[in-house]
Amino acid sequence: MKKRGRGIACMWYPIGFTVSANPSAAVVKVNEDGTATVLTGTVEIGQGSLTVLAQIAAEELGISPRDVIMVSADTDGTPVDTGAIASRTTYVTGNAIRLAAKEAKKILFEVAAPMLGVRTDQLETRQGRIWVIDFPQKNISIGEVAYYSQVKLGRPVQGSASWNPPTVPLDPQTGQGKPFNTYVYATQIAEVEVDTETGQVDVLRIVAAHDCGTPINPMLVEGQIQGGISMGVGFALSEEMVFSSNGTLLTSSLSNYLIPTTVDMPEIEVIIVDNYDPTGPFGAKGVGEPTLVPTAAAILNAIYDAVGVRLYSLPATPEKVLKALREKEAQNNTASSTH
Amino acid sequence: MAFTIKVKVNGEWKTADVEPEMTLLELLREQWGLTGTKLGCDEGDCGACTVLFDGKPVNSCLVLAVRADGHEVVTVEGLGTAERPHPLQSAFEQHGAVQCGFCAPGMLISAKALLDANPEPTEQEIREALAGNLCRCTGYTKIVEAVKSAGRAMKSSVK
Amino acid sequence: MERDVIRKVPLVKPGEPGMIVEEAPTEELAGYPSVGRRIPRRDTIFQVLGQLKYINDLSFPGMLYAKVLRSRYAHARILRVDVSKALEVPGVVAAITADDIPVNSFGPSLQDQPVLAKDKVRHMGDGIAAVAAVSEQIAEEALEKIVVEYEPLPVVLDPLEAMREDAPRIHEPRSNIYWEWHIRKGDVEKALAEAHLVVQERYRTQMVEHVSMETHSSIAMWDAGGRLTVWCTVGRITLARTDLARILQVPVSRVRVVSTQLGGNFGGKNEITIEPVLAILAKKTGRPVKGTYSRKEEFIASTTRHPFIMEYTSGVTAEGRIIARKVRLIADGGAYCSWSETTLGKATILSAGPYDIPNIALDGYVVYTNKPMTGAMRGFGAPQVCFAYESHMDTIAHRLGMDPLQIRLLNAYDEGSISATGQILHSVALKKTLLAAAERFGWEVKER
Ligand code: FES
Ligand code: FES
Repeated sequence: MKKRGRGIACMWYPIGFTVSANPSAAVVKVNEDGTATVLTGTVEIGQGSLTVLAQIAAEELGISPRDVIMVSADTDGTPVDTGAIASRTTYVTGNAIRLAAKEAKKILFEVAAPMLGVRTDQLETRQGRIWVIDFPQKNISIGEVAYYSQVKLGRPVQGSASWNPPTVPLDPQTGQGKPFNTYVYATQIAEVEVDTETGQVDVLRIVAAHDCGTPINPMLVEGQIQGGISMGVGFALSEEMVFSSNGTLLTSSLSNYLIPTTVDMPEIEVIIVDNYDPTGPFGAKGVGEPTLVPTAAAILNAIYDAVGVRLYSLPATPEKVLKALREKEAQNNTASSTH
Repeated sequence: MAFTIKVKVNGEWKTADVEPEMTLLELLREQWGLTGTKLGCDEGDCGACTVLFDGKPVNSCLVLAVRADGHEVVTVEGLGTAERPHPLQSAFEQHGAVQCGFCAPGMLISAKALLDANPEPTEQEIREALAGNLCRCTGYTKIVEAVKSAGRAMKSSVK
Repeated sequence: MERDVIRKVPLVKPGEPGMIVEEAPTEELAGYPSVGRRIPRRDTIFQVLGQLKYINDLSFPGMLYAKVLRSRYAHARILRVDVSKALEVPGVVAAITADDIPVNSFGPSLQDQPVLAKDKVRHMGDGIAAVAAVSEQIAEEALEKIVVEYEPLPVVLDPLEAMREDAPRIHEPRSNIYWEWHIRKGDVEKALAEAHLVVQERYRTQMVEHVSMETHSSIAMWDAGGRLTVWCTVGRITLARTDLARILQVPVSRVRVVSTQLGGNFGGKNEITIEPVLAILAKKTGRPVKGTYSRKEEFIASTTRHPFIMEYTSGVTAEGRIIARKVRLIADGGAYCSWSETTLGKATILSAGPYDIPNIALDGYVVYTNKPMTGAMRGFGAPQVCFAYESHMDTIAHRLGMDPLQIRLLNAYDEGSISATGQILHSVALKKTLLAAAERFGWEVKER
């Protein structure tokens, strides 16, 4: 018989290192053609960090993200960055880049103000230009200002900055302290179908509502959530490194260590909830790791809801589910015979 | 002892001297510099090395190079160019179907084989056709969406 | 603090009345505002054309290929290593052992991991010797010619067993328990005594691997001036440079670490693996040396996710308020520390769940076993504890006849809540996510 159930799980997850320093530094150069080059020591690992960081730099400078050139991942050529770890890139590296872009913008404004005949605090940037606030008839292109500044005034337009999240060390006895500067939150709900004859669990649907502060790029945030969930499905149902008694790994190839394939993945509905963290760049926090945190719990709770057996260990393989079902049956039988 | 073989790769006949144990994947990557095709496991389990062999998708890590003698092979480099990308390549980009991208070359080849045979696949057909291509990053959602949309684009451009 | 205003200005088109607009810097004006837009990843076009170069796609003239001999035992003393026969294989250019490594230890918190094992192996992924040859196949064949004499030791795989006083010590003379975290808030025993219901459960999780589709790969090359460049699949180049400089005993300024785009990381590529071996082989041979992990090496010779044993005890009021929670975590820490300190730390801090609980006692321990290293993996201990605390929440709800959503909403953190470590929390959107997910799912509240 096939039985359906639903399960909910929520979580919290920190952004950045546990207490320890994890700085990012960045350099932002505004080129004479109005584009910008960002130097960062982070490494693109596939999540799209360089795209998101370019969007942050572009937003601060008021240029198109396509006009931001990203240079990364070279200890000689790029500033120090703690790296692609701890879901920290958007938040920590993003803050550093935003601060560096602000420095560069300050020079742009100082040079542009006399050109436009106004004070620096009367200026704003967008669409590749510097505008007089409330009088957009007066404006000038960023490229023109950068060129003038560099070539005529001898003042290249660039900024550099670094950022490290503020934390408070934990007390060695009580563990009291502030280990992280911010956290994200999420809830996932899974619907599963359990085959009571075989113990096979099919995940039919997952609804995932995540807080990441401002999503700098919602498409990439969705991608992180969908991918994290696939890792969570594997953790819940199929992945396990199994060892023999002498310590030999018995599952050392992808034919016996099973990660989810296209046919194992359910329909995923992603909701990015509205939130804004004033300590992050444009309100952003992070999203990489938390995406898989609640998945296994939601699936196992759904199995419990479907067939009434609580599995105390992962993964919920068909053998394990079947064994738990048999045990429950046996219990019910003894219970009914004694009553 | 080396054999001299002739293979039509991405539309062009090429020759090579290969050792009998060399795989097609090694030939493509090491000898011909076609590094677009990836090595993910060398055991036929991941699909990163998928190429079209006479129009059919195969794991090139499992095919001996000598077997390709006289046959036609298409790799990701043969799908499209920056100026004229294949609709699948554009769709993968536009839908955010690629993250780390290591699975993408194999995934694109399997998807092309599917669309060549079945221009209007259902979601289930897409999922089945790509089941041999593992992706650890995306959860496949956007990949399936991209293949669907490329199928539609190819159909409307044919009309 | 106020929200930054991301101005959604109408697009300005050149020549629009009232605007003095010169040439725009791009032909495309649609790029504004930048934040919040669904822009494709900038590398994707190269990826889909097959043009993006990952580390294993790079090569240099004269490049050699390295392979590492892995241990035959999970726990053993090494009595003798002899590479002389391997050096006789045609095409082999160099071979090294632990004796060739200036400082044979590394690790982000504890430097307890050897580059190549010297006196002892602690798991089957331990490298013992390495060779560089003109091809990968020749390097692989040469490994078989290396002679290693072992004296097998008792193997400990179960963390509970490893914690016992009489267990074989994996890093003798130190205890197998190598890190602890403790958090205390309120008076947990008193609150448990006063609770309407006390629920106690034990959960376990398994060891899993990152399975990035790209395996670890690196190339090391020295220049004539004595500077080393390493192209590698490491997501933390700054740390990699520090570690390499320490192992090789050269100033950090003589090491350059470069990465390209990684083919997946998930925490599995956060520290060096084969890089020091390649650097030493490259130095010995005066040629660039590449090393790429096989899929099997990914499993046994790179980090994995810590299996956890998690004991939860919670005291609840009749209304479903959790007033006390006691957690004991035991993490199977594998053969070396790697990122265990951080993993256990995050797991312990997060282990009570995102719930406002006044009385808390959380204890975490991580222990050595003769299994592959456990280290950073997406979530750092959080998926394990979340499985436990969220399963536990459902058990509590069930015992009280409450709906799972309701019990969570009742206890969930809110803006200004105080965490287990006493931190005032901001930007707390937990209830928003609960409600949004429930609404989309069509969650119907069921109470008994
Ligand atoms: S490399 Fe061929 S299937 Fe994995
Ligand atoms: S995008 Fe990374 S494996 Fe598919």
